[in-house]
Amino acid sequence: MAEGQFLKATDLQEACELLAQYGGKARLLAGGTDLMVAVNQRKLFPEVLVYLGDSGLNYINAEGDNLVIGAATPFTDIMRSDRVQEETPLLAEVISHLASPAIRNVGTIGGNLANGSPAADSATALLALGASLRLRSKTGEREVAVEEFFTGPGETMLEPAELVQEIIIPRQIGGAKWAYRKLGKRKAQTLSIVSVAISCPLEGGQCQGVRIALGAVAPTPILATEAARILEGKAMDAKLIDKAAKAAAEATRPIDDVRGSAWYRRRATEALVKQLLAQISA
Amino acid sequence: MTMKVVGQRVKRYDGMAHVTGETRFVDDVIVPGTLTVKALRSPVSKGTIKTMDTSSAEAMPGVAGVITAEDVPCNAYGLVPDQPVIADETVRFKGEVVAAVAAVDEDTALEALEKINLEIEEEECVLDPLEAMKPDAPKVRPEGNVFMYDERPFRQIILGDIEAGFKDADVVVENEYVHPSLEHAQLELQTSLAVPAASGKLTIYTVSQALYFHLGQLCGILQMEPDQIQCKSWAPKTGSSWRHNAGFSDVNYIGGTVGGGFGSKNDIHADHVTALLALKTGQPCKWRWTREEDLLYSTFRGAWFITIKDGVKKDGRIVARQMKSIRDAGGYSSLNPYVVDKHSFVATGPYFVPNVQIHGYCVYTNKPPASSMRGFGVTPSVFATELQMDKIAQELGMDPWEVRFINAYRTGDQTPTRRVLNSVALVEVMQKLAEKAGVDLPDKLKNMNSKERGWT
Amino acid sequence: MHSLELTVNGRSYQTTVTLKTTLLEVLRDKLFITSPKVGCNSGDCGTCSVLIDDKLVRSCITNALSTQGKEITTVEGLSKPGHLHPLQEAFHEKYGAQCGFCTPGMILAAKALLDENPKPSRKDVREALSGNLCRCAGYGKIVDSVMAAAEQMGQAKN
Ligand code: FES
Ligand code: FES
Repeated sequence: MAEGQFLKATDLQEACELLAQYGGKARLLAGGTDLMVAVNQRKLFPEVLVYLGDSGLNYINAEGDNLVIGAATPFTDIMRSDRVQEETPLLAEVISHLASPAIRNVGTIGGNLANGSPAADSATALLALGASLRLRSKTGEREVAVEEFFTGPGETMLEPAELVQEIIIPRQIGGAKWAYRKLGKRKAQTLSIVSVAISCPLEGGQCQGVRIALGAVAPTPILATEAARILEGKAMDAKLIDKAAKAAAEATRPIDDVRGSAWYRRRATEALVKQLLAQISA
Repeated sequence: MTMKVVGQRVKRYDGMAHVTGETRFVDDVIVPGTLTVKALRSPVSKGTIKTMDTSSAEAMPGVAGVITAEDVPCNAYGLVPDQPVIADETVRFKGEVVAAVAAVDEDTALEALEKINLEIEEEECVLDPLEAMKPDAPKVRPEGNVFMYDERPFRQIILGDIEAGFKDADVVVENEYVHPSLEHAQLELQTSLAVPAASGKLTIYTVSQALYFHLGQLCGILQMEPDQIQCKSWAPKTGSSWRHNAGFSDVNYIGGTVGGGFGSKNDIHADHVTALLALKTGQPCKWRWTREEDLLYSTFRGAWFITIKDGVKKDGRIVARQMKSIRDAGGYSSLNPYVVDKHSFVATGPYFVPNVQIHGYCVYTNKPPASSMRGFGVTPSVFATELQMDKIAQELGMDPWEVRFINAYRTGDQTPTRRVLNSVALVEVMQKLAEKAGVDLPDKLKNMNSKERGWT
Repeated sequence: MHSLELTVNGRSYQTTVTLKTTLLEVLRDKLFITSPKVGCNSGDCGTCSVLIDDKLVRSCITNALSTQGKEITTVEGLSKPGHLHPLQEAFHEKYGAQCGFCTPGMILAAKALLDENPKPSRKDVREALSGNLCRCAGYGKIVDSVMAAAEQMGQAKN
């Protein structure tokens, strides 16, 4: 059997160069919480692993109006960061429901995104927060909105030699309202059946720039844009909330699987959106 | 006199080993030179094996041995010995073992499985027990899809006169209950290690919850005398030395080290295969199922379809119970016939019903064999009965507590299996329960006791 | 084959692994340290929990080569002869272990918690242990055990 290569990238540059050098053969390894499951299940036979644990991509910085998080930052670090708790509390909340402490200790935000799961919990938070991703390869970099990043189940717009460098999140200084709920088979260590994250800046009682993100109800995490449009510029009342929740359910394209039926997912989406909007408007 | 144990909190004898990591479960027993076992499983729910060619697998470097049905001296086991260790010709469920490999490591073993040339002709299967009971259903087994209790296709329990009971009733309450199948999901996977010795003896490290049963079955399968097998149940390692047992006569049978069983280890899952491979290769063989295999193919609590028809008096008394329970047994008997028995025996729950007719069916389908799980069929029986009690209360507009108090067993009552109860405390238990739950029972119920019926 | 050096319970080891070897395989199959168990091999159950540089991880989905030079702790490393860690003591005293299969992982998850938060609430304990399954369902007694250990350790400090 092929020996395989384990290459430690000491910085971003090196990681990009190694990816360029080995092309599609190389897989990035950070916490390994997704990758090693696939290896154990013999769905993946990596020939080259590029290890990002010591690549310096573990940071949380404020840059102007944005919070910038290195892709290889473990969830626990993000969740516990004072800055994140103050400036993007929705993200901290979402992470606290993600998997379990041991997974959060090593699982990274970049890995969660790059894995492209429709149920990636961090993605719903980032969608709601209007975040973007900086992608980097040896030959260049680009910034894409999170909603463009996912292209299908397990698929993203990452090129073979490209990696997620960092996540750029607009800081929500001074009180955007938000709410989150994850519906799983149990509370911890569970994949979402449906997850809903809503960020709703209110100005003078009116919704301004509301974003409703839905997880595990479509081939990718999605934004319920029509639902948001219904709320935009309006003050929320029960009728409006109903209408928005219905529109959110309409936006879903769920599947039947072991965790829940498409029918259930659609209904649950409506119920959760309704519940969370009511919570925000209260 | 203060007793040492009775009435005292007693420390677990194995607790210290558990908290220090000393406890050795089967997978923690490491014997040098142990081969890794992997099984080839049927990809279809029902079919006939047309080709089984293991020669290229056997020829692979690192493969020590491959076994198929041909290698099993007596290829039938179980309570009703109807299950092959390795499927011979017919497969009856998806995941049934059709061959097994012992190799130097997991990768080699898995690669060898891929080299086995297996052709199965798929046949129409039946997965729903209600369908399986129909006369023109595909046959899971040549003799029919319903287990025969002597001359009847069901276990029958009769007490009193069911017709008279229904005549006497004011209302009839009839409902259907479905109890889905459940997996034990014990944390320790099905695991076995078999170590052969030059003397011809065989040591098996087992996760069994039923050591003597399994020892007997293994002797049957392997056609060996009991004293040729040492079926060891492992006590925790104490200090630094192992307690080795020299012969059958001093085997330590006191408590196996089982990492959770809940009934999942009342059937042999792995010991027969490791034993056969160990004997064939002359090397220690270990088989640890994957979690997927355990969830998909090990035994589980089969589903139940239960109909209860009760004749009830306006005052709340149940005077007749007719119950029909259908157990989805999967492809083989395992402990299913016994599970149906126990289910049927307790079909009135802890309540006295003078006229009873119970029919418990054990029906085969093309699924992995169901078997025991925490209560051997009693739990689904109780589940249906207790729901039915609430339905009766609803129907009569009565307090659900009262319906239960009225019908609860009293001293001297007869169970459906005609056992006369001479020590009953159910009413008192329910009174205590209500108190703990903060329910203030009406005086009528507070004053009841288990000695007297309280009504006639 | 790649060479791997790591420290387990204070002792350093050198061994060889492949690209896909997990830390759990290194511990069990190479070093014969068997308290971390194989419960699922997919990161779902927590029976393989160990500490890497005092951080709780699941060793079944930890790539062995990513632990190069790291310090691993398993439950074997918590006690010295004749002297149990207060958590081990408490799990024994308070019946925190039934079949014992989840116990090593539970104790390590609890240790990771108490190292950071010596005075946890019951809710904190439940949260910290939320990724560790006990199918014997002895959760109440497990939480009791951790609370008792926390108390005992707090007293010892004062
Ligand atoms: S064995 Fe690692 S989490 Fe289950
Ligand atoms: S004690 Fe058995 S699984 Fe926890």
